Order: sequence, then structure tokens, then C-alpha cells
Amino acid sequence: MNEQDVERELQQYVGLPCGPYNSWEEVNAPMIRHLCEALGDRNPVYTDPVFAAQSVHGGLVAPPTMLQVWTMRGNTSERAPGSDERDSFAVIDYLRSIGYPAVVAVNCEQTYYRYLRPGDRVHHVSRIESISPRKTTALGTGYFVTELAEFFDQHSDKVADMRFRVFLYRAADRDHDNGKGA
Amino acid sequence: MSAGRTRTRTFAEVQAGEELPPLAIDVTTRLIVTAAIATRDFQDVHHDKDAAQALGSPDIFMNILTTNGLVGRYVTDWAGPEALLRSVKIRLGAPNYPGDTMVLAGKVTAADAAERVVQIEVEGRNRLGPHVTGSVAVVLP
Repeated sequence: MNEQDVERELQQYVGLPCGPYNSWEEVNAPMIRHLCEALGDRNPVYTDPVFAAQSVHGGLVAPPTMLQVWTMRGNTSERAPGSDERDSFAVIDYLRSIGYPAVVAVNCEQTYYRYLRPGDRVHHVSRIESISPRKTTALGTGYFVTELAEFFDQHSDKVADMRFRVFLYRAADRDHDNGKGA
Repeated sequence: MSAGRTRTRTFAEVQAGEELPPLAIDVTTRLIVTAAIATRDFQDVHHDKDAAQALGSPDIFMNILTTNGLVGRYVTDWAGPEALLRSVKIRLGAPNYPGDTMVLAGKVTAADAAERVVQIEVEGRNRLGPHVTGSVAVVLP
């Protein structure tokens, strides 16, 4: 397959809406505390109900950077009930199948529209926003794939956006091996 | 609180060009594993050294959600508990492996009086180079 065919095939993955991806748990204080303990984050608006009640938030909130945790699949890889079973990053499998097996995360950009509180129920939807032309970097040759994930609450109000960019590539030294029987 | 601030910096107290005090994070196996699990990231490269090595990595390494959390913590430790995170935009570099130290540094690059938003450039370096670079927007009272 020539490069034009690959790029045409890749574009079929762009814009396809996936989701919802639901949460196993509502936003809750124990998961917030566990993470704050692990990170050493002592901000009392996350873990001190008395301080939080008197704060700008009027009660406990989750660290905004905890955004993705709520809809993670977890240890069994099973998705929460009602979730889309399709993988929004199916393009990874396609690129692997044509010789780009390596994945590295490049950017993660999160914008928060409101703080989440215990009791909130989060879900997200996802689509591939863009796929670059083939690029060569210090790591190797491949494609930059950007996902846009939009997070909503139980009222379907948007609470956050996340752009996540990965580089799907074949390592640089492998290029020299191709077809040379190395 | 270890962060030492219960009062939040006001917008008037902050100026573009101001540097945040650095924060050294000891990158331990314990930190990587506990934070990976607390972020519900069960990929074995974040808790299983043998599995990580089988994939060509020298050791387990920190997951992205932990890096995000540490960057958020770094900024709110400095700004105070009632600062509101608006955005955390990071670029990922060298992995954080156990035994390393990541030193977070930051600088206020812009302050928008109308919205009371402060932009902070953040960089976290370990012995391999930058682990994370990015910008954080925070609203101050």
C-alpha cells in the first residue's frame, strides 16, 4: 500500500464519534483521598470537609486533574455499564497492523469548565480529531494522532475537554532493517 | 498542611515574571505504583518491573495521570487552596523512573486582570531531561 492509500485509510478514523464512556462510580471522597495521598496533595478543598464547606467551592471537590479517573476501565478492562464497546483509538490497531507498533504520548491538554463534586456522575465521548501526515522524529517515523475527549456530568453539561496526542511509530533503527534481513 | 498555605494568593499579589519556588518530587516505586492505582491505570508498565523490562523499558515508569496530578498540585501548593485550575496543558518528555528526582519549576508568564487568570509555565526535569513541560491557567481571588 502506498503512502497515499495509507493516509486515505487513516482519514476514515477521523471524526468518528465514540462513546459514551460511563463511570463505574460517582465522584466520591474515598477515591479523591486515595489519589491526594498518593500525590502528596494536601489541598484541603479536596479532603477537609470543614475547610471545603467554607471555601469558594462550598464543599468538597475533586482535583480537576483527576478528570480521566472517573471513566477509566480499571483492573478488569471492563467498561462501565452502558458504555460504547468500541475503542476510540482503533486507529492504533490499524497502524500496528501496517508496521507502526510503538506508541508514545506526546501532549495532554485539559480545560476545566467546573469542579466536580462528590455525587457527580461523569461520562465522556471521544473522537479522533486529526491525524498528521507521516512524520519522522528522533524516535522514528509515524503519525501524530489527536483525540478530543469531552466530559459531561449527569445533566449532560460539559465539565471538561481533553486533547490527547500520541505518536504511533516505527522506531528509527528499524527503518534501516527493512528488507535487509538484519 | 505540608504545602503550608491555607490562604490563597490574590490576583493583585501575583505579577508576570514571578517564579514559583521549585518542588522536588522523589520518584519512588511507591509513588509510581500508588498513584497509578489511585488513578485506576492498571497497565503493567506502571507497577510490574518485569513486564516493563520485557517491553524494553529499564523499569516501571510514571503514568500520565500522575504527572497531571503533580503539575496541578505544584501550582495549587503555590497559589493556595482556593485557586481554581482552568487548564493544565502538558507535553511529555523523558520518563520518570524509580530512583530519580523530578524538580518542578514554574514562572508566571501572563496575568489577565479582567478574568483574574494567571498563566504559569511549568517544567519538571529529571536526570534524563524534561519529563514534562506545559502551561497551567489558574483563577485567583
